[in-house]
Amino acid sequence: MRTMNKNLLRSVLIISYMIIIAIIIGGISSLFGYLNTGADRASILHTEIQKIDQYIPEVIWAPLQNEGRPMDEQTLKRIENNYLDAWYVKQVAYKTNTTNGIEDYYTENARKNLYNTIAYNTKEGVTTEATTLAHHPTLEFFSEDGQLAVITDTNVVEYKRIYKDNILVLETTEVATYTIALLLEDGFWRIRHMIKDSHEPYIETANFGETTEVSFKGINYYPQATPWDMFGVGFDPEILAKDFKIIKDAGLESIRIFVPYSDFGKAHVAIGKLEKLEQTLDIALQYDLKVMVTLFDFYGDYSVLDWTLNRRHAETIITTLKDHAALYAWDIKNEPNLDFESRGKQQVTAWLQMMTSFVKKTDPKHPLTIGWSNAESAAILKDQVDFVSFHFYEDINILEETYTSLKKQIPEKPIVLSEFGMSSYRGIWNPFGNSEKDQAAYHKEMQGIITKNKIPSMSWTLYDFVEIPKEVIGRLPWQKNNQKQFGFIDQKGDEKAAFKYISNE
Amino acid sequence: MKYKKIHILICIGILISTVTIGQHKNQGDRITLVTTQTEFEVGSTVLLQFSSSDTELPLLYCSNSYGSTVITPVLEDLGLYYEIPEFITNKKGIVHWKLIGHESTLGMFTMHPQERVTSMETYIGPPTIEAGAIDYTMLVVIPTDALDNPMPENTSVMVNHRFLETQKRDEVVTNKIIAYKNITSETKSGRLFISSECLETNSKEYTVDVLPAIPTDFTISVDRPHEYADGNQITSLYTSILRDQYGNEVSDGTFVTFFITNKEGNILKTSGTTVQGIATATMIHPDQEEAWSIKAYVQGMAESNRMTIAYQQVIKDVEIAFAKANREIKVGPLKSFMNQMIPDGFHVVLEIYKGDTLLNTETKTSKGGYVSFMLKEEMYISGTYTIKIKTAGIEKSFKNIKL
Repeated sequence: MRTMNKNLLRSVLIISYMIIIAIIIGGISSLFGYLNTGADRASILHTEIQKIDQYIPEVIWAPLQNEGRPMDEQTLKRIENNYLDAWYVKQVAYKTNTTNGIEDYYTENARKNLYNTIAYNTKEGVTTEATTLAHHPTLEFFSEDGQLAVITDTNVVEYKRIYKDNILVLETTEVATYTIALLLEDGFWRIRHMIKDSHEPYIETANFGETTEVSFKGINYYPQATPWDMFGVGFDPEILAKDFKIIKDAGLESIRIFVPYSDFGKAHVAIGKLEKLEQTLDIALQYDLKVMVTLFDFYGDYSVLDWTLNRRHAETIITTLKDHAALYAWDIKNEPNLDFESRGKQQVTAWLQMMTSFVKKTDPKHPLTIGWSNAESAAILKDQVDFVSFHFYEDINILEETYTSLKKQIPEKPIVLSEFGMSSYRGIWNPFGNSEKDQAAYHKEMQGIITKNKIPSMSWTLYDFVEIPKEVIGRLPWQKNNQKQFGFIDQKGDEKAAFKYISNE
Repeated sequence: MKYKKIHILICIGILISTVTIGQHKNQGDRITLVTTQTEFEVGSTVLLQFSSSDTELPLLYCSNSYGSTVITPVLEDLGLYYEIPEFITNKKGIVHWKLIGHESTLGMFTMHPQERVTSMETYIGPPTIEAGAIDYTMLVVIPTDALDNPMPENTSVMVNHRFLETQKRDEVVTNKIIAYKNITSETKSGRLFISSECLETNSKEYTVDVLPAIPTDFTISVDRPHEYADGNQITSLYTSILRDQYGNEVSDGTFVTFFITNKEGNILKTSGTTVQGIATATMIHPDQEEAWSIKAYVQGMAESNRMTIAYQQVIKDVEIAFAKANREIKVGPLKSFMNQMIPDGFHVVLEIYKGDTLLNTETKTSKGGYVSFMLKEEMYISGTYTIKIKTAGIEKSFKNIKL
């Protein structure tokens, strides 16, 4: 008994000894490990910072005629990047009233000015959402040792939204001119002084309502096999040619297609996708069809700091296509009013206002519209479009009345019905749905109303689809199945009864 | 004609009256600005006063060079008062304001810097320049007031600079925040002292070194203890004082390389750096008669003349003795120029051939004027060998030596 106790005691002692040793060794090794960690030496020079495009307003440098040392392209680009980053961190700082990133882009003395603003605004509950849309910098001076630069940035277009206690109190667009001194410190061009020299109100220069020619007979188009993914791997010019021939032969004169924002590469539009889009227009031209291009599909952010990226995206697409003979019109965004609830009506309309002006300025020749999902929203921003467009999936009996009242409301601009249609889905998810016969009757009646009232219209859509991506309508099978059967041609490729009424000829 | 004049007068009258009525209407707005001052000095209190007919308290949006905010008013008997916060009134530039909810009531005022300079932020570079009246350094000054605001345009800045005996004072003016002055070097090297002054505030002293320009061609000289090729003494090579084209001694540490070409066309290389314009390099004496041709270069900039020096042979003949069944070879005595024993360390080379094949080369250095080689049995089994001894350019060959 005694020896057993002794052995027990011994083993307990040995085990506890081992545990203590293990803890000590573990502690020492983690301390050693901690002391061996630290900043990577390469980080001293900030060479590893990669440029992510988060703020890319339009920047147009005046020709270089600076005093001091001659400037080289590379340094100028570096100054530009750091200068724009300085604006970006400032916008983020004022939006959140935090100081992240300011250290990198403002010198020690200049930082204080931002910190003071943040301190005051925090106390007063003021936040600012802002972005600059255009910069016109001139390099005034570059020091002989390459460490100091002075620029004047004229006509900086700045959009601001001021909130007090989280309530929007002011929305303003301003044009200002600044003189800025920058110093090269730690590999960053940092702002040392910034002085506002002048201030003017922003004047809208885009002219709407000058190009109002509309197409009277059109259709919304997606290829049957690749709906909502028209420019993906399944892109096939032969299918497009075949479909466009069907559309043309049916007596229609225009199509409406969609350019998805993220899929096209956001601010950096993928060349491959853009070529496919151009090719689509080329094929449309062969069949004498006009194309309405709907931008910003599947985009729903609208936040102010996203604006410069959105503009770059739009600019790339528009400048590529604006001289194309098949281009009919720009639809800025499909059914933006559906985002009113989640993003705020004010936020969305401000974005639309900015984008319509921008698109109009980039391409003044082609008409521009916004594809509202219903007639109630159609009057919003009616002065910012060349023709008004709305979608109609409601009771056919109120269309005529809806249209005439809208016409009365907006007498000066054409009003286009850019989506209408009926699903012929009747199945387990919707046993009392419309049949193909109902669909045909609907289109027949629609064509009657359209002809009678001379409504420029585009129906939804050429094909019944087999597969619909979940991003479009969600996963719910009754919605999905319903969405699949809006076409004039069924899943097997045969014309449905409604095909007879695809056009009013 | 008269009739027409009256018409015109009536028209003008109507125009004037409409304008006055228009102005009257503006004044009739509920909230109007009372403050008339639109120019302020930074650091002063800016109070915007508005006359108001009711108790509504609209916020004032306000934006300056660095940021924006909204200000809550104070309502007093005489109207609404908005005190512009310090972070705005402390900074130079245009301040734009707008009454929220009365967006047509808007305006601007300007903050001007104080008329006193408290800091002369100075940037000078490059910190070293070359003599010769071509290269220059640039002084950039940002005079700022107590609240870190740059001075207005065209503020005079005096730039003082002294170089050797000459002291100059130039005036420059601020343009777009900064004032700058290029200061060109003179033909002399030395130190440039620079300072600046703005509105009676002086900067501290800054210095820029004016370094000599690149050296011009130079000459070289040689110094040696004797002219004999004893393989022991050291020959020193010197440059003349290296100077730039303006006669300035080049900076200490200028690297000079000496290239020595010997009789056989091989190149020896030695180098040194300048101290007070002179570079020194050394080379050990050859161990046989030689003629060296020497030329020095400051690479890519300047070169010297070519000079030749000769070394005389010291060892005329070598005695070689075989002992211990030819397995010990004793070379010596090796005698120098006064028949003294050559200093230790003189090279002697032994080559052993079997027939025409070289078996081994052994190199030894002398000690006390002698060198001895042992040919070990383990390495060289018994037989006949050819043995060659080479030293001081002398070669002796012994054929059919039996070991």
